[in-house]
Amino acid sequence: MTDSAFEIERQDSGALAVVGRRAMSLAAAAREQYGVLVRTLYYVARGKMEPGMLAHQMYEIGNRSLFFLTVVMGFIGTILCLQAGIQTKRVVPDLSMLGASYLELLVRDLAASIVALMLATRVGAGIAAEIGSMVVTEQVDALRMCAADPIDYLVKPRFLASIVMTTALTIWSGGVAIVTGTITADVVFQVSPHTFWNLSLVHASDLLICIVKCLAYGAAIPIVSATSGLSTFGGSEGVGWATTRAVVNSSLAVIILNFLISSAGFFAFHGR
Amino acid sequence: MNGTAALALAPLTRARDALYDLAGTMGQMGIVAARIVLRLVHVDLDGRELLRNLYKMGVKSLPIVVVTALFTGAIMVIQAAPIVQRYGAQGLLGWGAGFGTLREIGPLLTALMISGRVGANNTAELGTMTVTEQIDALRALAIDPVAFLVVPRFIAIVATLFFSTLYADALALFGAAYAGDALIGVEPMTFYNGLVSGLLGIGDVMNGLVKSVIFGIMIGLSSCHFGLSVTGGAPGVGRAVNATVVTSAAGIFVVDYLVSFLLG
Amino acid sequence: MISFRNVCKSFGSKAVLNDVSFDIEDGEIFFIIGASGVGKSVLIKHLIGLLRPDAGDILLDGDEVSRFDEKAMYPVRRKCAMVFQHSTLFDSMTCVENVALPLRKHQGMKPREALAAAKERLAQVHMQEFGDRFPAELGDGMKKRVAIARALTLEPRYVLFDEPTTSLDLVSARRVDNLIRELSEELGVTSVVVSHDLVSIFSIATRIAMLYKGGVRLLGTPADFKNTKDELIQQFIHGRAQGPMET
Repeated sequence: MTDSAFEIERQDSGALAVVGRRAMSLAAAAREQYGVLVRTLYYVARGKMEPGMLAHQMYEIGNRSLFFLTVVMGFIGTILCLQAGIQTKRVVPDLSMLGASYLELLVRDLAASIVALMLATRVGAGIAAEIGSMVVTEQVDALRMCAADPIDYLVKPRFLASIVMTTALTIWSGGVAIVTGTITADVVFQVSPHTFWNLSLVHASDLLICIVKCLAYGAAIPIVSATSGLSTFGGSEGVGWATTRAVVNSSLAVIILNFLISSAGFFAFHGR
Repeated sequence: MNGTAALALAPLTRARDALYDLAGTMGQMGIVAARIVLRLVHVDLDGRELLRNLYKMGVKSLPIVVVTALFTGAIMVIQAAPIVQRYGAQGLLGWGAGFGTLREIGPLLTALMISGRVGANNTAELGTMTVTEQIDALRALAIDPVAFLVVPRFIAIVATLFFSTLYADALALFGAAYAGDALIGVEPMTFYNGLVSGLLGIGDVMNGLVKSVIFGIMIGLSSCHFGLSVTGGAPGVGRAVNATVVTSAAGIFVVDYLVSFLLG
Repeated sequence: MISFRNVCKSFGSKAVLNDVSFDIEDGEIFFIIGASGVGKSVLIKHLIGLLRPDAGDILLDGDEVSRFDEKAMYPVRRKCAMVFQHSTLFDSMTCVENVALPLRKHQGMKPREALAAAKERLAQVHMQEFGDRFPAELGDGMKKRVAIARALTLEPRYVLFDEPTTSLDLVSARRVDNLIRELSEELGVTSVVVSHDLVSIFSIATRIAMLYKGGVRLLGTPADFKNTKDELIQQFIHGRAQGPMET
């Protein structure tokens, strides 16, 4: 999706050539991602897994991100509540529905999306760096020599672990954000926790959208980062570039998936 | 401390270690900041490197900013739409999408994407230079690496973030206007009126821009610090990039909170 | 003239240099040799302040450079240039821009003047056609010559070479040796070469110091080394696997 760091600037630079080249590299990248996704799903259905691999990856993705996510979501909770409160007061002096809207937004979009964006940076970079280093030190080639498909051995455990952990972390983070949001509402806007915890606007459809987002983001991040890691080139310097690509592409994937799922959810449940 | 007690307290121990690491990193970034300020005050920086980095970072981020902003605008509308429909306040869609974008989402998402694109890239470049002794080579040529490499990149990152946020704000609102039309039939004109109706002011825009500058400072310091302190060859560079994006992301949210709280 | 007086340097608990003392006369091609990891690069990095000694003095033209801070080292570094082991050109610039950098920075030349002067320098090392290429596009031998050109831009009186022929093919290695000899004969430059390339050592060295276990094992001319009775040195210069040397 994005330029390689080694693109030599001496090719045709006519506008059409530039656009054409972009489109072609975009198409090639998309095809590569799709290939990795399909092969991963195949191995999920079929291949075996090392015992403990899944647990190890779940620890790497989940437990290691916990502190970071707790801090971030804690702050998000307060910021969201603060901004929503400030703006609502400009329009409607009554803040009784503050909690309701807050919870609705959190469940429907923000909890999953922000967790995913944070994981895209932390986990995406980590996966690309690990796999990229393995490519550069020829360990991936060694795997192929042992008749083990790198996708089966490297990508599949991370794929499954990520889906599970993204969901788990979203639930945890949502909880953290609710706690800090409640405190902010009480301290800054004098809205009591009782008024704040208003679930009237949170429908089953919102929960469904949240789960779908968790699964989609959880699936996308390792696929995109692993693709970047596996396509590392340029020797040891390439690891840094691969990591950068993984972070950017994973974040973009999250945003685009967010748009697609949110639109689909909107049309399905709210109509025109 | 016996085994089970240690195990039970493990999460706390991890948290404590994480906090120590954090404090250490903050301290080191403070030192980098001080070195940069010292050279800025004497206007001691390489002009050519500054221009080269401004161009490179600006151009590199443009596609990402455009894509992110347009999609974000659309997402904002999708999230605001049910609320607006509930109150039957089509005219307020502009306001609904607008305040979120200008104050928070615009600066935040732009900062996150640029942290990924430019910040990580910067760390990778500086990290590779450190590992291949190019920093030592500069010192051996009696050229100050901070003035030559760090200050131009720092300024370029802050400038890139500022202008990208400005651009992203505009694009996101543009995307939101058309998404509003496509999804819930709110005319772009109505959207525009909602924006400028007086509920949102220049203060909201400035709020977002001040944030973007501070985010830029955050990303600049973090990427330069981690890039220059790489050890351990190629895996070290990968680790440094990881550390930069994580630190920038966390730092951005903490700073966001502080600024939101202070500026109101 | 360069003098090392009782220089000691440790990294953690590992003592790399232990009371090293010797002098380097002007105009010499002085080789510092020894097995890998014995501390040769560490020693020469002290001359330009990339490392500081734990104890002892280092004098360059009478100045005690071991005590200088970063700012005070700048004039020293203009007099004493270094060619790094991996050439260490700046990836983001072309070769001619690499060579022009010190001219721009230290002699305040305008970009165009600096590039013209840089092209002349590249011609001196026979690399003028490759000026507009980026370092990533060149082979190791070519990069080394560009690095040497860059080191010569400020007309230093001393040039330090860290393993100049180590990763080069035999032909490129001999070319580099010739360049070093030309520098000494035509420009009067004092060269300090860290190496374990036996062919280089015995073809261009004026004097040689061999480091072993943190100290100077022998200091003398190539003939002294060839004729020494020291078993360890004989093992090293004949490249034998068996012998008293511990690596």
